Amino acid sequence: MSAANVIRPGEHSKASCSLAALGIVNALGRGPEEIWPRLLAADQGHFCRRDDLVPDRDLLVAAVSGSLPEIPSRLKRYACRNNALLMAALQQIEKPIADIIDAVGRSRVAVVIGSSTSGVSDAEAAIRHQHETGELAKAFYYDQLEFGGASSFVSDLLRLDGPSYAISTACSSGARALATARSLLALDVCDAVIAGASDSLCGLTANGFSSLQVVSDEITNPLSIHRKGMTLGEGAAVFLVTRDSGGIQLRGVGESTEAHHMSAPDPEGCGAEQAMRDALKDAALEPAQIAYLNLHGTGTPLNDAMECAAIDRVFSNSPPCSSTKGLVGHILGGAGAVEAAFCWLILSERISGNLDLIPHAFDGQLDPALPPLRLVPSEGLRVPAGPVMTNSFGFGGNNCTLILEATS
Amino acid sequence: MIAATVRRWSAWSPGLEDADAWSNWCTAPTELVSEGRPEARFLPAMLRRRCGSLSRIMLTAAFDCCEEAEISEVATVFASRHGNINESIDLLDRLAERQPLSPTVFSHTVHNAQAGLFSIAAANRRASSSIAAQQDSFACGYLEALTLLERDPDRPVLLVVGDVPLAPTFAPLVEEPAGSYGLGLLLARDGEGTELAFGRHAGADEPEAARWPDAIEFLRWYLSGESSLVLGSARRPWKWERLQ
Repeated sequence: MSAANVIRPGEHSKASCSLAALGIVNALGRGPEEIWPRLLAADQGHFCRRDDLVPDRDLLVAAVSGSLPEIPSRLKRYACRNNALLMAALQQIEKPIADIIDAVGRSRVAVVIGSSTSGVSDAEAAIRHQHETGELAKAFYYDQLEFGGASSFVSDLLRLDGPSYAISTACSSGARALATARSLLALDVCDAVIAGASDSLCGLTANGFSSLQVVSDEITNPLSIHRKGMTLGEGAAVFLVTRDSGGIQLRGVGESTEAHHMSAPDPEGCGAEQAMRDALKDAALEPAQIAYLNLHGTGTPLNDAMECAAIDRVFSNSPPCSSTKGLVGHILGGAGAVEAAFCWLILSERISGNLDLIPHAFDGQLDPALPPLRLVPSEGLRVPAGPVMTNSFGFGGNNCTLILEATS
Repeated sequence: MIAATVRRWSAWSPGLEDADAWSNWCTAPTELVSEGRPEARFLPAMLRRRCGSLSRIMLTAAFDCCEEAEISEVATVFASRHGNINESIDLLDRLAERQPLSPTVFSHTVHNAQAGLFSIAAANRRASSSIAAQQDSFACGYLEALTLLERDPDRPVLLVVGDVPLAPTFAPLVEEPAGSYGLGLLLARDGEGTELAFGRHAGADEPEAARWPDAIEFLRWYLSGESSLVLGSARRPWKWERLQ
C-alpha cells in the first residue's frame, strides 16, 4: 500500500474537537432545560432512600425518577436500565445525530461509551431468579451485562457501522470516552463520535462501596469537616462530537495512573496533580486562565484531602471550584461525562462574556485541615468567560482531567 | 489507514508459554486450552494472591512484552471482552443470598483491575485505558492503543488483550472460540520492529469465521509473514497490512 494513504499517530493532534450537542439525564431531570436551573439553584431535593439495594440499610441515593424509554423489541437483548438511561439521553439529540449521519454516512460515525456498571442491575435480577427457580430469567441476555453491550446498543439503536467500544476505567470512564472521541477524530477513523457514559444504581456497586465504608448516610458533603463519604447516583450524558472548529471545544486532556492502591487514591494526590498539569499543557494554558474547576469531590475523607492538596500545588490561586456530587450523587462510570456536561452547560449558558458557575453544595462547614479552595458560594458566582476544567479519579488509580472552552 | 510499529509481542496460553512454543503452534494450530494459569513469579506475593487467572495471564503477557526500563514508562491499554465478570458473578450470587461482599474482592472486579494491578506491580503512572467491545474487543483495543499514541506520540503503548472462559452460569449464552489466552503488543509510532497499517477494510470479501480468539488470529498472521489480515464482522471489518 502507498504511504500517501497512511497517517501516523500525532500528525493531526491539534485537530479541533467540538462537543456539538448534549443529551443528559440524572436525578435532577432530563435535558439541559430542566437540569440547568436546578444546578444553578443547587437543588438538593432529588435524593431518595432505597431499601432494596443493601440488606438492612435504607440507602440514600440520587436515582432517576419516572419511566425511561422502552428499548425497541429488535434490541431486546440489550434491554437494561443502563441502556434505557443512554436512550433517554440520545433521544434529546436525535435531530443533530440524524443530520450528521446524512452528512458523513453510517460507517463514519463512531461510538464510545463509558460505564462501570453496564447492565449489572438486570443481571442481579436474573441471578436472583436463578437462585429461586434454578434458571436464569428468560429476558436475560449476556449483552445486557457485558461492558461492550452498552456501545453495541448505541450503535445498533442508531444503526451506525463505525468503530464502537466501551471504556471502563471505573470513575474516570466517562471522561476517557471524550478523550478517545477527540483522538478518533484526529486519527481520521471517523467524522463524528457519539461519546458519553451511563451508570445505573445496582446492588453490586451499592454493596461494594458500602463494604469499603465510603458511602454516607446523609447527602454527600464534599470538603466539609463533617464529610462521611459519597452518595451514589445514576444517569447518562452523551455528546455528539465532531471536527468543527466552533462551538464548545474539548481543548485539553490529561491522564495518569497512580501505582498506589486498587481502591484508595495516593494521599498526596500526585496522580491527580499530574492529570491536571498534563491537561493544562495539552491545552497550552496557564493555571491562572482556568475560569472554573468541577471537582471530583466525592465527599470521602481521602478523596477530598488529596484532591485539594493537588489543586493547591497546581494553582497558586485556586480557581472557583465546586463539586456537583451533592446535587446528582456520584455517578461512578458516568460521572466524568455528566460533569463534563455540567461544564458544557456553564459554557453554553454564558451571558455577554460571563459564566454563571454552579454552587458547591455542602453544609458550609469547610474542613480547616484542607488547603483552602475558592468554592462557588451557595448564591452562585458570575465570572468572566474562560476555559473550564473537570476532574475524574477512578478505582485502580485511573485519573483523567478535561478542559473545555467556548469559542467566541 | 493508521501506521504504527509493533516493537515486540508476547503471548501466554496454557501450554504455550514462550515465543518458540507459539512459533511451533502456528505451523499446526490446535484449539486453545482453557484450564491453567501462569505462576507470575514477577509479582510480589501480596499482589499475586489477589490475582485470578485472567489477571495472572494478562500481567504475564504485559511483563513479557517489556524490557525492564520500559515497564514503568509505557502507556497501557487492557482489552478484554469479559474482564472479571466471573468474579462479579460470584458477588452477584452472594447478593442473591443477602451475604455481605468483601471490599477487596469488590475492588478487584472492576474492568480496569488488570490495569490497576499492572500499574502497582510495574510502578507505572502513565496513561491507561481499559476497553471492551464484545466480539470486536481485540480490534478496538488496537484502535484505543492508537488513540493513546495520538495523544502522546513519543510514548510507546503496551496493548494487552486477554480473556478466560465465562463461568457456567453465563457460558451457554455466548458463542466464542475456546481457550484462555493473553497477548501483549508493544506499539510505537516508529523505530525498530514491524510496521503495520490498520484501518477499516474496504473490500467486499467477508472475514472468515474465527476459529481462535481474534488476538490469536492476529498473532498467527503476524508470525506467518502473509501481507494482510482481515478480522471482524461484515458490518465492521478491520484490516492489518505490513508496510515493509
